[in-house]
Amino acid sequence: MVERTTRRLADRTNFDVQRTEGEEDAGVLKTGTTTVAVAADDAVVVAADQRASLGGRFTANKDVQKVLPVHPTAALAMSGSVGPVQDLARTLKAEAGLYAARRGEDLSMAALASVAGNLVRGIPAQLLLGGVDDAGAHVYELDGGGSVLPSEYAAAGSGMQVAYGVLEGEADAVADVSDARDLALRAIRSASERDTASGNGAHVATVTSDGVEVASRTVAELAGANRGSVSAGRGDER
Amino acid sequence: MNGGSDRQAYDRGVSVFSPDGRLYQVEYAREAVRNGTAVVGVCGSNGVVLAADARTRSPLLADGSVEKLHDVDGRLGAATAGHVADGRRLVEFARRRAQTERLRYDEPIDVASLSTAVADHVQEATQAGGTRPFGAGLLVAGTTSDGPGLFEVDPSGSPSEWHATAIGGGATTARERLEDGYDRGIDVLAARDLALSALAETVDDGFAPADVSVAVLDGDGYRSLDDGERASALDEAGVRRAS
Repeated sequence: MVERTTRRLADRTNFDVQRTEGEEDAGVLKTGTTTVAVAADDAVVVAADQRASLGGRFTANKDVQKVLPVHPTAALAMSGSVGPVQDLARTLKAEAGLYAARRGEDLSMAALASVAGNLVRGIPAQLLLGGVDDAGAHVYELDGGGSVLPSEYAAAGSGMQVAYGVLEGEADAVADVSDARDLALRAIRSASERDTASGNGAHVATVTSDGVEVASRTVAELAGANRGSVSAGRGDER
Repeated sequence: MNGGSDRQAYDRGVSVFSPDGRLYQVEYAREAVRNGTAVVGVCGSNGVVLAADARTRSPLLADGSVEKLHDVDGRLGAATAGHVADGRRLVEFARRRAQTERLRYDEPIDVASLSTAVADHVQEATQAGGTRPFGAGLLVAGTTSDGPGLFEVDPSGSPSEWHATAIGGGATTARERLEDGYDRGIDVLAARDLALSALAETVDDGFAPADVSVAVLDGDGYRSLDDGERASALDEAGVRRAS
């Protein structure tokens, strides 16, 4: 009875994760990916490229949405094995919805990050979580070990080193949300130029206390982008 | 069948309704709560007070062996009335639930969430086969970012929020005293005095300091009053037994 109680207490959705590592997982879709999250004062921008690849050598899908709203005021950018991470995003969204229904208020970003950290443990993935709550704008980096690290800005995925090259020195100077969006998209663009597992355009989520808006950019829109003009894209909000 | 044997049949299983829609076992469990000594909870503007009648049945029993007030996680507390063993199980559940909240959300639990979680657990025992209802009632209290909060959980598994209430033996008398004396604006000291005077309604001649347990739950967390503090609190409430 005690064990039954404890299990009910935890009330967690269980993940049966098939761990695949090294060469054996050549058949498993991986995102490769470049993801970026940048916090402005009262908003966060979360962006990712649109490529899914097999072992980083073959582009398996050119229009993957790797930035998803998971909470009324938070978006998740995912990189890693596609299946488990999609599952995680759905579960995280369900946890946020359950919490709101039970308690009449939304999860804080720290609490959402804590739930996400519990869910990602054991999954080969790197996540960026960006969101806004009463305490302001937040960015969290999470990985398959279960680490949850708050940050002002972050990049993840196979293109992260190129992306960080763009972010460093610039992210601190971000003045507002459109600055943050331009910077994030330039980071995605540069990584897409040099990282073979990233490319095919970008999705960018803009998170404010009013909600999450996800827009996409084509390769051409990204390539033609100079500082201050990247955000004038196609803007098909979802 | 006559009425008597009818009633026996509905008594047999906890999950069997009587024809008039009652669950006798749950009602008997409420009776078990009334058989325990009283506990009182009173919300003040800056904290909540829990007070319990903790008289021992023998002078040979060691001090503090009557556990009526329980620290749940350092912030929230619970007072139990009724079957001691059942009450302990519920407190253990509450403690686990409070820590689970920290593991999941990296945040402390609030009074309403903890109370509804305990209530849901209690409710399961009224509907599952092969078990019996909990013969204990609970007051869950604490001060969180939402301010002071006080909830009751009864053996049917219904949670209810109170400004001040009492459960256990003599609870009706104690609640009458609370209804007369309660004022929304009172501070935690006035709440303590009111709690003790309501508790004193359930006994004949007041309390010695060793006869009561008192806990203050404010912004600093759960703190139980020591012997000296209880003595002066009883004096200030005017319910200290002349010895």
